[in-house]
Amino acid sequence: MAIVRSKMTPGWFFLLVLFVIGAVLSLFPFIWMVIGMTQNPNDVVAGKLIPGHEFALNWQKISTTYETVSFFINSMKIAVITVILGIAVNSLAAFGFEKYPSKARDRVFGVLLLTLIIPQMAIVIPLFKEISFMKLLNTHAAIILPSVMSVFIIFFLRQNFKMFPTEIMEAARVDGAGELSIFVFIVIPTMKATFASASIYMFLTQWNSYLWPLMTILTDKMKTLPIAMFSVMRAYTIEYGGLMILVCISTFPILVLFLAMQKQFVQGLTGSVK
Amino acid sequence: MLQIHNRYHRYLNRTGWGFIAPALAFYLVFMLYPIGSSLFLVTQKWRGMSREFVGLGNFVRMAHDQVFWKALGHNFLFMAIQIPLMVFLAMVIAVILHQGIKRFRGIFRTIYFLPVVTSLVAYSILFRILLQSNGLLNNFLHSLKLITEPIGWLNDPFWAKVTIILALTWRWTGYNMVFFLVGLQNINKEIYEAAEVDGASQIRQFFTITLPLLTPVILFSLVTSTSGTMQLFDEPNVLTWEGGPANATMTAALYIYRQAFVLNSDFGYASALSYVMVIIAAVLAFIQIKVLKERN
Repeated sequence: MAIVRSKMTPGWFFLLVLFVIGAVLSLFPFIWMVIGMTQNPNDVVAGKLIPGHEFALNWQKISTTYETVSFFINSMKIAVITVILGIAVNSLAAFGFEKYPSKARDRVFGVLLLTLIIPQMAIVIPLFKEISFMKLLNTHAAIILPSVMSVFIIFFLRQNFKMFPTEIMEAARVDGAGELSIFVFIVIPTMKATFASASIYMFLTQWNSYLWPLMTILTDKMKTLPIAMFSVMRAYTIEYGGLMILVCISTFPILVLFLAMQKQFVQGLTGSVK
Repeated sequence: MLQIHNRYHRYLNRTGWGFIAPALAFYLVFMLYPIGSSLFLVTQKWRGMSREFVGLGNFVRMAHDQVFWKALGHNFLFMAIQIPLMVFLAMVIAVILHQGIKRFRGIFRTIYFLPVVTSLVAYSILFRILLQSNGLLNNFLHSLKLITEPIGWLNDPFWAKVTIILALTWRWTGYNMVFFLVGLQNINKEIYEAAEVDGASQIRQFFTITLPLLTPVILFSLVTSTSGTMQLFDEPNVLTWEGGPANATMTAALYIYRQAFVLNSDFGYASALSYVMVIIAAVLAFIQIKVLKERN
């Protein structure tokens, strides 16, 4: 305690003030979006900081013009299905690459890593043609299917599977366990934190994805939150109050997820850096 | 015995392929096939539903496309200014949190990381409203008597670029800070204690110990941010609205998107343009691998 106090020189105090200002800047948009939900559109645009009383009106206006509830359900459904399929497919692959080593598979892994450097834009242009040929345009499958396999997630999980002792697998085999049940009943339960991190990363990426849904979703009813917010923004008269409601709806699930599972969240987002 | 051993190995090998098979199926259909088919796309010119073979024509057309090269220039401009600014800021914040403001470290770390939680579209919309010419920021600056005329954060070609840089810095500084905090925690404290005994000042300790040991983190931050900025799309499309004003914040990815989906629906030309992005990404990746290898 004495040490802490002796460090509180004017210099450190000045830094602390700067850090508080920084924290206010970081937090401000979050606070303001909540205030904005309750204001009338003119106050939102003017950036007034006093809460208004028009939340109900804003909600009513935005949900009669737009399929507000559908946006949320669509986003949630797409993100959840992507995580379930993605974790199943990618964790199996990562486990196969790591615990069943072979030269041929290592070469395949090398090819996977190589395509990691290709910018998304270079893939989505021909992918759009393919999806439209498959008659999947304006379906949620169009958003989900291409994002199931993720080289980054396979890489992340593989790095973490390195820590799983192979001896345990050997012991389970001696006891007569099949390879798949070793993975499902031994590996998954012991590596819950890793799976949580990977799931959070996939959820967040899909929940926030904008470019690809913007290309493939055409009707209002099918839209996810990011592209829905974009269309509210590009309307002739912008429902600012309602827009702030959508911004909150798209932000708060992630915020809660972050505050509840901060450690796995940061780990998932920052990858395999230890 | 040997036969059993061999059979067991074949079994494990098959299991290995079995485990990666679903991922490979997705990879073939949604990654390799599109990449392959783009080789066909680039040789075509689309007019609505009809198309014709133009060979390398799209690449010739690209050479004269000034807007595209200007857009690509913006990517490099944002890289050159925003990334050093953000990485420097992230490092300074992390070092101060690590050494100085210990008591509030946890809360500051959480708060500074928070912007990453917002979706790119959500925060772009918020910034767009805040930065309108009669919006909150201009009103605030005006009330402080810092400006007399409103700043055109969104309508002035120069300030619009500043806006993109500020927005990117707001969202990503805390994210990069986390890498630096991890890096700092991995530095052995005894090195500092020894330096303290030798009478090295805090500033000197920073330049002789902290900075050299953080170099891998700095490189990592530069690498990840570079690839992100190369693909910049959401912010110029939502925040400064479709790369405006007058293409002042147009980026390569946004221009390609507009060629394919908004202006001409010419997927051949868009593919040709995206090849330039692939080449640049490959060159950047090559440089990065070289640099990282040399460090190790």
